[in-house]
Amino acid sequence: MRTTLVSYYRLDVEEATGAEEDLLVWFLRLARRGGSPQMSAKALRLSLLSAACQYGRSLQMWKLGGKPSSDAGLNRVLSREPEELALDLQSRLDEEI
Amino acid sequence: MAGRVIRFPQRSASPEDIERSADRVLAAPLSERASRAEELRLEEPDLLLSLSARLRDRLDTSPAVVREEAEFIYRFLLAPERPIGLFDEREYFLGEFALVSGTACRQLSRREEARLWFDRSEAGFRHTMNAVADLSRLAYQRLALRLEERNLEAVLELSPSLVQSFQKLSMPQEELKARFLEGLALMETERLAEAVDVFRSICSEAEALGSEKLLAASLTNLTHLFGMQADVEGAIATSQRAIPILKRIEDRVALAKVQWGLATLLRETGKIAQSIETYRAAQVEFEQIGMRADVAALHLVIADLLLELGQEAAATQSVLEALPVIQDLNMVPEGMAALQLLRESLREQKIDRPALRELHGYFEEIR
Repeated sequence: MRTTLVSYYRLDVEEATGAEEDLLVWFLRLARRGGSPQMSAKALRLSLLSAACQYGRSLQMWKLGGKPSSDAGLNRVLSREPEELALDLQSRLDEEI
Repeated sequence: MAGRVIRFPQRSASPEDIERSADRVLAAPLSERASRAEELRLEEPDLLLSLSARLRDRLDTSPAVVREEAEFIYRFLLAPERPIGLFDEREYFLGEFALVSGTACRQLSRREEARLWFDRSEAGFRHTMNAVADLSRLAYQRLALRLEERNLEAVLELSPSLVQSFQKLSMPQEELKARFLEGLALMETERLAEAVDVFRSICSEAEALGSEKLLAASLTNLTHLFGMQADVEGAIATSQRAIPILKRIEDRVALAKVQWGLATLLRETGKIAQSIETYRAAQVEFEQIGMRADVAALHLVIADLLLELGQEAAATQSVLEALPVIQDLNMVPEGMAALQLLRESLREQKIDRPALRELHGYFEEIR
């Protein structure tokens, strides 16, 4: 989570901590949604990664106010759909595990 | 998400507090709810989660009440548009309460309304993070509706793919429910032996999962299947396994259906008077739950049996009680001709028995 927010979306530590707090509250409720209790840990993890990517992307786009960043790496990440990046991150995690 | 999320410190409520809040909401009359929304904390996501779980649990006990409750919450969340929770939570709750409302409508045979609620549910779920799982639950309800409309080929065609979706999502209970639909479609296409196999397999898997609800529902269908095969021993043994579980989990819909199955068995084995008595017991159950379509269908079955006993006047009365409901709920798009013949025969004070049989046969198949 921290890597996604800081390394990919370039959030600073304070922003990332705030994001994690929100994402934790959201995730605890996600796990109690209808149908979720039966879902595998992997499926729930993907939802969490998607939410983190969406959060990071929205925050950076808001900060940039529609202009491109001077950071080419960030621009590349922002040009991708959050769900797509989350799927990539999930695959990498699977490989590591 | 259009801008930065600003956080405010929140007092986190304990699970007990949330349950107490849900009790308060459900105890408040519907007419007062909107004006007391702030006091009832209707915008709290934890409370909404608890309410949606409670309503889902009550679908088999009181679908009419659940429909009203779910509709109220859906409309409260919809307009005026208000922020609910974080990220996709507003959209999720709109989708979920619409799904609950649609499911209740389906159980109450309000099929057009059910379809509209399912469309509303899709509109909400489409915008959530976990869309595939929620849309698959919605697909299950849509398929169940097709089954009730006797679109059996579609159910047999589409249920394996839905089963597969739930397998991929690791949702074993939903997977069993989808297989359930396949079993029912086999049952209604007279492939009874195949249907028995499906339900037996669901029973053992439901037991392994510890799902009493699914186990009881499968036993209910096995009772029907054995009744249709005039297998007295099988039907009685299966119903004896089902009834205590159904009472424990308060599944009144399935309890009424078990009684219906036993009544069918009594009819198939020539015990007409006992059969009528058992059908009437099932009818009382359906009446109390608000399932008018099933009450009407049973009126026709009972009328047929009363004719068997030579009680023409009582049979006419029974048909007369059924017809307004059948018309009101638009229950027989496929059986209009039979319905018309039956109406005309009543005017001539001589029930057209083939038409009556065609009509109640239709209802029994869609049960």
